[in-house]
Amino acid sequence: MMINLLLIFPILACLIMCIFKAKWMNNFFINVYALMHLVISICMSMHLPVGSSKYFCADSSNIVFMLLLSIVFMAVAIYNNGYIKHETTDCRRLRHYSYMMLIFVLSMTGAILSTNLGLSWVFIEATTLASAYLILFSRTKSSVEAGWKYVYICSIGIALAFVGIILLTIATGNMNSLYYHELMANAHIFNPFWLKLAFVFILFGIGTKMGLAPVHFWLPDAHSESPSPVSALLSAALLNSAFLIILKVYKITVLAGCADFGKLMMLVMGFLSLFITAVFVFHINNYKRMLAYSSVENMGILVIGCAVGGLAIYAAILHMIGHSLIKASFFLTSGNILEIFKTKKIKSVTGLLKTDKKTGWLWIASFLGIVAFPPSVLFISEFLMIKSMIFQKHYILCGLFVVLLTIVLYGLGKAVVKMSFGEPHEGKNYDENVKEVSFGMYFPQIVMLLMAFALGIYIPHFVNELINGTITGLAG
Amino acid sequence: MENALIILFGLTMLYMAATSRLMAHIRILVLQGILLFLICWFGMEKTDVLNFLFLTCETLLVKAIVIPAFLNKIVKQTHEYRDMEANIPHFYCLFISSVILFGGFLISDFNFPGIKMINPVYFGVSIAVIIISLILITIKHKILTNVIEFITMENGIFLLSLSVAKEMPVIVNLGVLLDVFIAVFILGLLVNRINKEFDGLEVTQLSDLKDCEYDD
Repeated sequence: MMINLLLIFPILACLIMCIFKAKWMNNFFINVYALMHLVISICMSMHLPVGSSKYFCADSSNIVFMLLLSIVFMAVAIYNNGYIKHETTDCRRLRHYSYMMLIFVLSMTGAILSTNLGLSWVFIEATTLASAYLILFSRTKSSVEAGWKYVYICSIGIALAFVGIILLTIATGNMNSLYYHELMANAHIFNPFWLKLAFVFILFGIGTKMGLAPVHFWLPDAHSESPSPVSALLSAALLNSAFLIILKVYKITVLAGCADFGKLMMLVMGFLSLFITAVFVFHINNYKRMLAYSSVENMGILVIGCAVGGLAIYAAILHMIGHSLIKASFFLTSGNILEIFKTKKIKSVTGLLKTDKKTGWLWIASFLGIVAFPPSVLFISEFLMIKSMIFQKHYILCGLFVVLLTIVLYGLGKAVVKMSFGEPHEGKNYDENVKEVSFGMYFPQIVMLLMAFALGIYIPHFVNELINGTITGLAG
Repeated sequence: MENALIILFGLTMLYMAATSRLMAHIRILVLQGILLFLICWFGMEKTDVLNFLFLTCETLLVKAIVIPAFLNKIVKQTHEYRDMEANIPHFYCLFISSVILFGGFLISDFNFPGIKMINPVYFGVSIAVIIISLILITIKHKILTNVIEFITMENGIFLLSLSVAKEMPVIVNLGVLLDVFIAVFILGLLVNRINKEFDGLEVTQLSDLKDCEYDD
């Protein structure tokens, strides 16, 4: 019942908005859906009955993903109340924005909860289509370009993932089902040749959506051109949904006895993602683009963790939680900076702390969180990953991992320090713009950062149980 | 009969590679839709009425009528009738496509593990169509041709799914159809928007977003 409510409510809300066309409804329905999402996710995490069906179900493998999506969506909804009124006053455009935001979250929810690989594919493609309008929202020349690249590259990637699904059905032999539990139960009889081929296609296809190099090209464009709340959702929720599907297919390859092949592919893509970020982050002069590259890097870390295995899988799930919380906060704060300075150029932003102290400290705290400065939870996760690599005697990989992360840290740090400290540009007064930034545009970031730093000091028992549940559901 | 239709389907890609006229591309899409319909008609048992109706609707209605009509409208709106500046001459395009199609036929003869599950001619030709479409995407220069090649790739994937003697649940099939249809629709709208914002529809013009030299 509750799951059905999650999937039906956005459609009903869109219909009601379409019929009544009232201005107050635009933000209202987003907030109601966010609250409903959070409550139902908490019920799921407490293992209360939520009414699973044949096609959708909440189990130990996807609860963490749902909870993260809910938290990020709630934060985005609160932030959005203050943010969106500065973007446009056109009621029609705002209404379309709300439709698409609801459908976007609906499709991510569907992708996370679906029990069938084919259905997951349908929902992942739906996320592309729903978020296309959101990326195009500002209607500038560059947003049109970003929107085109996003829809085109992702659609081709996802089409290749469908080829992978067809190849997987060949691998399954006489079995005629794409339900995850049946695939996992029968994985040992699958044909390894076709399964490996299918895994390559699915990893590249869904990896496009997850933002893994070398198929990440849409990501920096789309993340930097979309409105900040949308960037936060894209980076902190959408990439995780794609990661969940990759994890499930990876588990099938592990159960089929092709783990080494899967690990090799994931390691290559993971390290390539780190390498690409390390190379590009140096020359970037758009701070939102810089954050987008940081997402590519963190997605790389996630797949590396899964490929290394053992303790590193725990670290990967923990890293995903930390990344979602901190990156959402980082992107939302970038929205504040854009609101104050009206530019995305790193060179044009200086003296952030003196212009707006709260935004400045949020920017620095988000930076410290994302580069795994203790007590950020990412410090624990990266530390565990390195420990795991050393225990498994992957010394070269470990060295490469640390060097690349350090380069990224330097690249990000250079830009953040330049923007935060120093004096604001002479002759420019940003006081009016600072007044436009309401309390709701600071509050979600503060809460998410507190959560991320608190998790770095103490991981509560129930969070530990949720992560362990995910590991037994997905990687065990 | 079925195999002849499939080979004809593969050959349409050669014409696609050789021509620069967008209207001819769209006519090829119509032809591919009709061929896919005929392949379904001859190839499958008509016992499952629901699935058969769905496939007919997908191939004949969506692939052969709605999508080409929509693209036709866009071509007329944007006044872009030719794709002249491909990265390499059309003759070489044709040559490369022929080699890939030949490779597809060779695959059909190859003895794969688990080949009992699939029909080899379907499999070889569909893989060739997918690869030719991907290569044409990299070669051709107009974004409208890229959309058309995206659709031919989807047609290739559709043929590949027919090659596996199994059926997906109707809900998945419906979802796939809806997604592809909306993707084409959004891409079409984007083509129109790009035509307004940029001067023309060349892929090379979409190069404002860079890592360095960014300007607001």
